[in-house]
Amino acid sequence: MNSHVESTARPMRARAAVAALALAIFFPACRAGSPAPVFPPGAQVLHLASLDDIPTLDPAAGYDVDSWMFEQMIFDTLIRYSDSGVDLVPDIAASWTASPDSTVFTFHLRRGVRFSNGRAVASADFKYAIERVLDPKTRSKGMEYYRGIVGAADFVAGRAKSVAGIETPDPWTIVFRLSAPDPIFPHKLAMPFAAAVPREVVARYGEDFSRHVVGSGPFMLRQWIGGQRIVLVRNPDYFVKGVPRLDGVVEAIGVNEDLQWFRFETGAIDLSAIPPAVFPYVIKTPRLKALTMRIVTMTTRYLGMNCQMPPFTDVRVRRAMNYAIDKRKLVAVINGRGIPANGVLPPSLPGYDPDLRGYPYDPARARALLEQAGYPHGFTATVWLPADQTMMVLAQSVQQDLALVGVQLKLKPVGFAPLLDAIRQPNTVPLFFSGWEADFPDPANFLDVLLSRAQWGANNDSWFYDPRFDALLAQAKPLADPVRRFALYRQAQRIAVADAPWVFLYFPVTWQIRQPWVHGLALNPMRPTRLDRVWLSPHPKPQ
Amino acid sequence: MLAYVVRRIFFGLIVLAGASLITFTIAYVMPADPAVAVAGAKADPQTLAVIRRQLGLDQPLYIQYAHYVDRALHGDLGRSYIRREAVTGLILSRFPATALLAATAIALSLLLGVAAGALAAAYRDRALDNWLLVAALMLVSMPVFWLGTLLLIGGGLYLRWFPLGGFDGPLSLVLPTLTLALGSAAYYSRILHASLAEALDQDYVRTAIGKGLSRRAAILRHAMPNAILPLVTIAGLDFAGLLSGVVLTETVFNWPGLGRLAFEAVFNLDLPLIMGTVLFSAALVVAANLLVDLLYAWLDPRIELGASRD
Repeated sequence: MNSHVESTARPMRARAAVAALALAIFFPACRAGSPAPVFPPGAQVLHLASLDDIPTLDPAAGYDVDSWMFEQMIFDTLIRYSDSGVDLVPDIAASWTASPDSTVFTFHLRRGVRFSNGRAVASADFKYAIERVLDPKTRSKGMEYYRGIVGAADFVAGRAKSVAGIETPDPWTIVFRLSAPDPIFPHKLAMPFAAAVPREVVARYGEDFSRHVVGSGPFMLRQWIGGQRIVLVRNPDYFVKGVPRLDGVVEAIGVNEDLQWFRFETGAIDLSAIPPAVFPYVIKTPRLKALTMRIVTMTTRYLGMNCQMPPFTDVRVRRAMNYAIDKRKLVAVINGRGIPANGVLPPSLPGYDPDLRGYPYDPARARALLEQAGYPHGFTATVWLPADQTMMVLAQSVQQDLALVGVQLKLKPVGFAPLLDAIRQPNTVPLFFSGWEADFPDPANFLDVLLSRAQWGANNDSWFYDPRFDALLAQAKPLADPVRRFALYRQAQRIAVADAPWVFLYFPVTWQIRQPWVHGLALNPMRPTRLDRVWLSPHPKPQ
Repeated sequence: MLAYVVRRIFFGLIVLAGASLITFTIAYVMPADPAVAVAGAKADPQTLAVIRRQLGLDQPLYIQYAHYVDRALHGDLGRSYIRREAVTGLILSRFPATALLAATAIALSLLLGVAAGALAAAYRDRALDNWLLVAALMLVSMPVFWLGTLLLIGGGLYLRWFPLGGFDGPLSLVLPTLTLALGSAAYYSRILHASLAEALDQDYVRTAIGKGLSRRAAILRHAMPNAILPLVTIAGLDFAGLLSGVVLTETVFNWPGLGRLAFEAVFNLDLPLIMGTVLFSAALVVAANLLVDLLYAWLDPRIELGASRD
């Protein structure tokens, strides 16, 4: 009897369990996934894919390539960089002037520029944008760039309700007064931090402005589903006639490099990065190579040495490290996607010194220098590096090179944030892999920021100090004349190279591949690619 | 029964409090400054100091934790440092995708695992049993990122039957589900095979076969109900694990789930998001444990919940 009860009860319970499981499947299924907006037939829609989600679309908050790529499509600044270069061109400002001492900058705005909500863009919108960046409540990563404006310190400290040094005498004029000469200040206004934002929309959404962005740029946000996709559509009222040429841009988010490549091969996306594994195949295949684009970025990769920690306190050791590492081999390790570095400043940067020789690969000379420094049998050191695959491969190459001159390296891969935190502590990290991407195209953005005494505990992560070097920086900083300015920075760079606080490794080269139907695309050495003037010729739909 | 459930919920809350305290402490004592994560690599010390003050990071740890718990009890898990969005909203927006993938994967792995395990037991020590063993060992040994990539190349790139990743429509569910389910199914099949083999040697099954019941019927009616119970426990915990996010599978297939969100949070040292995803996952595991125990007792009435061992 009991067994009969059991044998009927169990199938019923099993069926109920299956039903519960089915419900568990279909309940979330009902909520999961949102369809992409549909474009009319024949619409020019550019399809992209990216691994990383876009952290934010709020110009005050974003400070990364992914955020800036979309921010510069949605928002406008007073001035901007040209599509393929780093020369400043008008954006919403039709013209601008600078005082001879580089302390006053006056911008005259175009008339008839409107936010996508219909309201006219005025000078007050730029003042508001920069005050918002300076407001500690915003926690903007761009705050430091605008601290030099008169009254900024009082505003940040809460002693003033607005920044006295930003004047808006009329809706089409904005004047910036600086507390000290800063010839590169216009570059700071070309950063997305300084893009015009409508105060009323920010006030309405607060911290959620990022999800409800309204700008005056060539595109408008249509859909953004975290981890899934972002969709922009053409702003029909954009102030440049005939721009943008695309009707929309759809980017799939969270797509790793390999998956991007598969999608590119099927025609599902129009642009792609080239994964390391297929890079040699692409270069050897004429059909594909013809579709590639390359640009030397304004980035320097280096092996930093802590000049306050033995044995790197001795300049002979630092020079020996430079001679001992084969930079050409390093570049070969990354499939040739770099240029061996001769110094601090990358070749695409104005002020680059083509005559600087740097340190050729010369292990015999490295051994001699180590012997002179009292290390005839070398030494052992720990190198800290960001925990990613490429860095590990590069570090292993360096490890092999240094072993040949007796220097035994221990590799210590750590997360980027802990690495950054550690190298800013004195006497903590003797040796580390690092890199720097330019914020604006000026030697000061490398030499001042990375190697001046004022940046100890901040960005001078090699704890380097040479009074001759700092004196040259101080002389160059206020100069607006590029010839005199760059000449001084070149001198300063030569001192830095001779002092060798880094092993100058390489300048990365970015490669991209596009479908044959994509036209008007230009890579920029410093900023994400702009898509305003991109257009598509007729092409087959992906299967 | 009710007393048991109340007691388990109470202990579950203690587990959650412990998980939050441990995560909070680890996150804040690790040698990395959250202000750097917020302000970026290029921020100067002045900016970092302002941000620390803004985030309350300059306050003692216990005060920070007390504030966090107070807000969490009101359903507010804070705002992501990097995305500036509410953590609760971010988690809830990613959970449906993960839940869908987890549910289909667990259903398919149970289906395949039970079928393969039963077949292997029915044909014990014969060729089919050996082949199933080899297949199971292969599938269990395959890393998901490798299997997933193979499926993408085969089913997505060459055959073009399925989308190349992403989350658009039912077809996009097939490859990630297979990737997750095949390994688990192989594992379940071996567990069930072992349990069934043990059950088939029991007197009650031998008696049933001796009385004329077919081997198939003896397996399905008598051996299976007992042998499948251990699977309920394992599958239940696996389901909780899958619900917490499957980082590798989600990354390979561009699946917008919790796993990728948690991975990004850790990568960016986005503490509120790390805390939120850990707490949410811990809650899922606690809930799943309770549900498995209840289901276990429901499927096998001989089990008494909360009974003490005397």
